[in-house]
Amino acid sequence: MSGAEDPGPDATLAAEYVLGTLELEEARAVLLRVNGDPAFAAEVAFWERRLMPLALLAPPVAPPAVLWARIEDSTAGAERRGGPPEVAMPRAANDSGLIWWRAGTFAGLAVAAGLAAFIALRPPAPPPVLAVLTAYGSPAPVLVAVAGPNGAITLRTTGAISVPTDRDLELWALSAGAKAPAPLGVIPPAGKTVPAGVAEGTVLLVSLEPKGGSVTGKPTGPVLYAGTLHRFD
Amino acid sequence: MPAEADRLSSGPTDAELIARCAAQDRAAFRALYGKWSARLHGVALRITRDPGLAADATHDAFVQVWQQAGRFDPAKGEAGSWLTTLARYRALDMVRRRGREVLGHEAHEEPDLGPDPLNLLMAAADGGALKRCLELLNAERRQLVLLAFVNGLSHSQLAEKLNLPIGTVKSWIRRSLLGLKECLAP
Repeated sequence: MSGAEDPGPDATLAAEYVLGTLELEEARAVLLRVNGDPAFAAEVAFWERRLMPLALLAPPVAPPAVLWARIEDSTAGAERRGGPPEVAMPRAANDSGLIWWRAGTFAGLAVAAGLAAFIALRPPAPPPVLAVLTAYGSPAPVLVAVAGPNGAITLRTTGAISVPTDRDLELWALSAGAKAPAPLGVIPPAGKTVPAGVAEGTVLLVSLEPKGGSVTGKPTGPVLYAGTLHRFD
Repeated sequence: MPAEADRLSSGPTDAELIARCAAQDRAAFRALYGKWSARLHGVALRITRDPGLAADATHDAFVQVWQQAGRFDPAKGEAGSWLTTLARYRALDMVRRRGREVLGHEAHEEPDLGPDPLNLLMAAADGGALKRCLELLNAERRQLVLLAFVNGLSHSQLAEKLNLPIGTVKSWIRRSLLGLKECLAP
């Protein structure tokens, strides 16, 4: 191991993510890559399995006694409504090579599940394909993207997004299996409809770019929000 | 370790409890919490070094367990590893954000790893291989890997703590991980 040639930064990226040494932006970028790159996702899973015994080095500490009550409160909603949450949880997460236990998308999926339950109350409409875009690790939806039957995507913001005056937000589509996202154009603050023709399972990304959008055809600024298009039927 | 206790007792395994959570069994959820909350909270506390944040991370992890239990596949990994992963990523994300939001956030005293930390690994099902592979690294680099994982330190925090250039830290970690990969690969 000491004299081997260095195989390049990519060889240890998954391991560094699991080890926890990446800075916030780097870790977010890795999480997005896990969405679209099954081989990379498998590597993350390998390291999670192999390194997790190290967690034994942290001594157990009993949580505050009130924590269980908080958890019960947070998980009681679905039962009170009488519907099993699994019905609305998108299954595509497993099928598109996502890591089966990955933590980050939970919040977005839970919000999407809530929306799906809401939409399901109106029977005759065709099943919607939508993505809820959140900041990494945050449960709050920032943008909702609904794919129309003609493949156009309508984006709506859930509130005002503040963007520096010399910057624009740009929308990207990372289709399943693709290595790099395709540009879908700059997003006006009020949301927009773009003729996209993207499929379910596509990850939509929003990056912060110079005014007018990236000129390189790839995101040049940080990816602020992301979500996966799912059909809710 | 709870996984070991599973094998020795006739009670339900963690995987069985998780499967029952997927079927909305609150008693199973409570039992899982009883078995795992102190361990997950300990992991989160070590990373966040803040009881409030650690409780939030533990809370979020168990909510995820309840919501996503149906996706846990025992064929793909151990239950304990799944549970720990959920808490760890939440805790890491929280401290990274806090570090960015609170500019110049004061670095806490780093708890050390205690004597003979590698022997603790033997309690885990897969711990023996990891221990053997870690022992192939030199002591200084092994320490870096352990501190990174257990205390949740980023490249820049490790560099600051050990008073090393960040390039050196990155390079040592990379070499260590490449060595581990070679040693751990099936």
